[in-house]
Amino acid sequence: MGRKILLVEDDRETATYLAKGLTQEGHSVEMATNGQDGLFRATDGSFDLIILDRMLPGLDGLSVLKALRAARVETPVLILSALASVGDRIEGLEHGSDDYLVKPFSFAELLARVNALLRRREARIDPADHRLTVGDLEIDPLSRSVKRGGKKLELKPREYLLLEYFARNEGRVVTRTMLLEQVWDYHFDPGTNVIDVHVSRLRRKLEDGFDKPLLHTVRGAGYMLAA
Amino acid sequence: MPTTLRIALLAGLLALLSNLAVIGFIYWRTYDEAVSEMRQQVAEQGKVLADVYRSGGKAALYDAIQDTITYADPQTAVALLDAGGRQQMGNLAGLPRQPLQEGYHSALIRLRGQTTPRVGAVVLHRLPTGQWLVSGRIVGEALALRDTLERSLLIALVVATLLGLACGVVLAHYVGRRVGEIAAVADRISARDLSQRVPVSGAGDAFDRLGVQINAMLDRITRLMEELRMLTDSVAHDLRTPVSRLRSAAHEAAETDDPQEQEDLLGSVIRQADTLMRILTSVLEISRSEALTGRKQFAWFDVGELGAELTEMYEPLAEEAGAKIDYKRPARPVPLFGHRQLLAQAISNLIENSVRYGATGGEIHVGVQNDARHTRIEVADRGPGIPTELRSEARRRFGRLDSSRSAEGAGLGLALAEAIAHLHEGQLVLEDNNPGLLTALELPIRPSQSDGARA
Repeated sequence: MGRKILLVEDDRETATYLAKGLTQEGHSVEMATNGQDGLFRATDGSFDLIILDRMLPGLDGLSVLKALRAARVETPVLILSALASVGDRIEGLEHGSDDYLVKPFSFAELLARVNALLRRREARIDPADHRLTVGDLEIDPLSRSVKRGGKKLELKPREYLLLEYFARNEGRVVTRTMLLEQVWDYHFDPGTNVIDVHVSRLRRKLEDGFDKPLLHTVRGAGYMLAA
Repeated sequence: MPTTLRIALLAGLLALLSNLAVIGFIYWRTYDEAVSEMRQQVAEQGKVLADVYRSGGKAALYDAIQDTITYADPQTAVALLDAGGRQQMGNLAGLPRQPLQEGYHSALIRLRGQTTPRVGAVVLHRLPTGQWLVSGRIVGEALALRDTLERSLLIALVVATLLGLACGVVLAHYVGRRVGEIAAVADRISARDLSQRVPVSGAGDAFDRLGVQINAMLDRITRLMEELRMLTDSVAHDLRTPVSRLRSAAHEAAETDDPQEQEDLLGSVIRQADTLMRILTSVLEISRSEALTGRKQFAWFDVGELGAELTEMYEPLAEEAGAKIDYKRPARPVPLFGHRQLLAQAISNLIENSVRYGATGGEIHVGVQNDARHTRIEVADRGPGIPTELRSEARRRFGRLDSSRSAEGAGLGLALAEAIAHLHEGQLVLEDNNPGLLTALELPIRPSQSDGARA
């Protein structure tokens, strides 16, 4: 499932480290070290994902992004930035990026987001059946009803949203910050385990009375829903 | 040229010009009136004599002319000329050499008994006999009046201009003094004494307003400088603990031979690094908010809904900590113009604070109230609370009331909530919940200085 990723990053050390990791995951990575070069390569639209540093020599990341979107290149863009404030993150997303990751980050966090963005790309190409199934778990996004082994599960609205997000990323690691951003739409770091408590509640509802675990904890990274 | 002198000269010049205008007007009006009055007199006299001729004939006119010469004032000119222009009777000593014409004339004339010709005003009538009736007066009186007038007006002009100059000097001195005070303060501030303030006279004039504005600006600069200084100090000081923990964990990981222990220690290194980053992000967020950046992202939203969302978000965490959290949602939407994300963070900091330190009380209340202009978002617990004397310490950056340092968090939560309140021109209040702690954000529904704000 190797994909083509364009990495626009001026810091050679970071770029090499990321490229190595992504290549090990089976992706092919092309690198650009400044904004103009990045924009030039990105405009041919053949990439599945662009990882774009926000602060670049010459043309900065947000300008590259703006130029890309103006040229109707709709490739998903993940912005990397040392600008960490809530305002900076919002600004990045408002400029049309699909995700915004603040430096420093763990490679696991980056990988989880890269995979989520690539999956969205797939989903865009092939709109699947609206029902989501993970093993014996069945989710109907239209009626927002959830069944496991034919038995209906009672979820609170937020628990449902959480589960749907997990299901849409089935078999992929989802980090705590991704959950906070995607399920709650908050872009700050709470600093407590507030998300974990929600996940463990959801897990109890999904797994109580069943033998097979569905919602797994991935150490040092986050969670994963998988049969 | 010094400013004072320039202002004085300007005032003098203005006085001169305005007085010139006024005096010119007076002069013009007065002289004009005197002249027209005399013209009327001359015309009147001519008409009377002509009438005498019409009703009484030649004899009566001769008598009248004789009477006028004898009894009227010596400036009066009267004469009867024949058709050729020679004087038949009258008091003219010499005749002007010019063609005779009906109507009003101004000419140099000399009366009998006088040595020099003087400017006179005369009216000529042609009688049916072909004779010319000349009647008029020497206008020397009017000229004398004009001279007097000119002299006094000139004196007035000089006096007024001098007064204007004097006023200018006084004014320039006053302005110079007031401006000088402000300039002196600016000088001392440039010389690094930020505590200086412009004196305000209390007169409420433009200088006072300027002074008040400069002082307000200085207050804000001082506050920001103070913030910055405190922040730098506390960052330098309070980052030592997490950094030294990180360092020792890394050191131990390098030393140990046990792979399990090494993995645990490296995990701890990463956690410590994350904590450090979180602290730095909070510090950044605080200084951003205190510098009032981020207002571009202000928008209208419903605080009531945000409160509901956050209460729901923290409900499981509070329950784990042993407290029940409830939320009294207002019946109507509570609109607020602000930064939704940052306010979400501020409110969640208050809730986290209560969950962390006040959950022992068993209950946490979250509430939103509003009136026409303000919104109050409060979080109240039944925990141990904070004694009044320690409340300012609780707001301080890195201020943590438990000295053990074992509890999580860097002590930036309330400081950040307060900074975000300041960004919204509001404040963070800490109150006694009898028992317990009540923290609240009091915010205007819409900050007065929000740029680009539209309902």
